[in-house]
Amino acid sequence: MIQLVESSAPRSVRVRVLRQDAPGEESYWQHFDVPYEPNMNVISVLQKIAALAHAEDGQPVPPVAWDCSCLEEVCGSCTMLINGRTRMACSALVDNLLDEGDEIELRPMTKFPVVRDLCVDRSRLFRSLERVKAWVPVDGSYDHGPGPRVSPEEQEDAYPLATCISCGCCLEACPQFTKIEMVRRDDESQEAFEQRRREAFDEGFVGPHAVSQAMLFNAHPIGKMIADERMESLTSQGGIQMCGNAQNCVAVCPKHIPLTRSIARAGRAATVWAIKKLFDR
Amino acid sequence: MSDRESSPSFLARHQFLIYRLFSLSGLIPVGAFLVVHLLTNASVLAGPGSFQSRVDLIHSLGPLLVPIEWAFIFLPMLFHATVGFIIIANGMPNVGSYPYVSNVRYTLQRATGMIAFAFIVWHVLQLHWLGTPFGGGKFDPHHASSSAATALQPMIVAILYGIGILSTVFHFANGLWTLGITWGLWTSPAAMRRASWISVAVGVVLGGAGLGALAGMRAVDIAEARAIETRMDDVKKMLEGKDTIPEEK
Ligand code: HEM
Ligand code: SF4
Ligand code: SF4
Ligand code: FES
Repeated sequence: MIQLVESSAPRSVRVRVLRQDAPGEESYWQHFDVPYEPNMNVISVLQKIAALAHAEDGQPVPPVAWDCSCLEEVCGSCTMLINGRTRMACSALVDNLLDEGDEIELRPMTKFPVVRDLCVDRSRLFRSLERVKAWVPVDGSYDHGPGPRVSPEEQEDAYPLATCISCGCCLEACPQFTKIEMVRRDDESQEAFEQRRREAFDEGFVGPHAVSQAMLFNAHPIGKMIADERMESLTSQGGIQMCGNAQNCVAVCPKHIPLTRSIARAGRAATVWAIKKLFDR
Repeated sequence: MSDRESSPSFLARHQFLIYRLFSLSGLIPVGAFLVVHLLTNASVLAGPGSFQSRVDLIHSLGPLLVPIEWAFIFLPMLFHATVGFIIIANGMPNVGSYPYVSNVRYTLQRATGMIAFAFIVWHVLQLHWLGTPFGGGKFDPHHASSSAATALQPMIVAILYGIGILSTVFHFANGLWTLGITWGLWTSPAAMRRASWISVAVGVVLGGAGLGALAGMRAVDIAEARAIETRMDDVKKMLEGKDTIPEEK
């Protein structure tokens, strides 16, 4: 590959990281001067920071902690606030970020509890998927036989929804989705804590990703066998009614999933569901 | 944070129903009333007599007027506003970080809801219930245009009305768009874009009617309007057999 290094390319990049040593502790800013290379992404910036092992002022510091895995925007683990906007660190290219300003700012997501530095605990995102039963119910040891046929049109409609990587960008940008952070009590077992945390999560908004997954599986020929259970969940506390139509979710989703279409479809399904419940009981 | 051992609150158990009734109340009856109210007021542009006859029509309800007002206007509006404030308190606007058009609309929907609340409370106290202490005087259904014109004369009152009317109209027009998503009327991005034009049209027509009514009321020749209204009142009394038509002077 031929690199065209412009003569105006900077020698180094100033990076500002919001750090936090442990859950519940005060966060603080630290600045790093990272040697510039063409085609860096934010993950390679973080790798260089780890290799440097000192801040801008030369003080030795522990390396910044972050999450990543696939490095190609499919695992969903590297979400963070880059220059104030939620996005995937692996696909955020430094050359583009420098167009936004001279410095790069990295912060952990604000809607999930910080574990350390840029690592957050996104349990609630996965709990939401459980709440809406975002799966096809085919558990069992017997042979289910061949699956039902799905038309190409249905496949085309469903496929984009199936590309969700559970990154949580949509939740981070959603003004209706607010942080729930629970702290384990000293006298509490891990199970008791998780139970209490689940109950707290279940009072909050499920979030656009879960609404969209519910619509995906309600459209699936086998998935729809428990469509009523999903509608029950979507119309209970923290369900579809919590959406305020800010439509940030769809604007920030790295997979361009038509989340607002799913939300409006869920709204329509909830209208029908509520009327059915009123007259069928 | 509430006590998790206790059973969920009434609000929590019926959240979906309450939010849907909230949404509906924005359209019917509160939104429908807003439309009728602004168009009625704009009739002053056709002259004080035209506005007076519409007010007379409303007041022909007689003793039923107050209960109807409470059942179909004040209580639904209080319900909508109460749930509205709860929704506002639970959200976290972030238009600074995500300055997208629909996020701006989300934030404005909340801001205009709060402005509409302050404006409507003041407006009802001033024109409907208490009058002068809230500025400009009280509305007199027998002297519709002249009393409204008197109340709206101070420039500061007129400016606050302009802001209040435009905020309320924006809130209703943009609310129609979100209501369509809430209930699932428009589901695709293209349909939502088309539906935005409904909001624009409703906003322009109602905004025009509201500001037209405001300007129209203020432009009324108070003495002339009073004379017309007094004559209409005399005719009404005569038709009700309470009085005879006064001698032409
Ligand atoms: C003239 C009076 C009012 C009218 C005609 C009106 C109408 C509407 C309509 C049609 C909606 C859309 C509902 C939906 O998206 O499903 C709405 C939403 C809303 N209204 Fe009002 N409203 C009025 C006054 C108020 C007041 C006084 C408040 C209190 C602050 C308020 C707060 C809200 C809020 C927060 C929303 C957004 C809800 C959401 O998107 O989740 N409104 N309104
Ligand atoms: S459309 Fe609904 S779910 Fe999406 S960001 Fe807005 S409020 Fe959140
Ligand atoms: S819907 Fe989009 S933004 Fe939300 S979790 Fe899935 S991939 Fe991420
Ligand atoms: S590392 Fe997998 S999405 Fe970024």
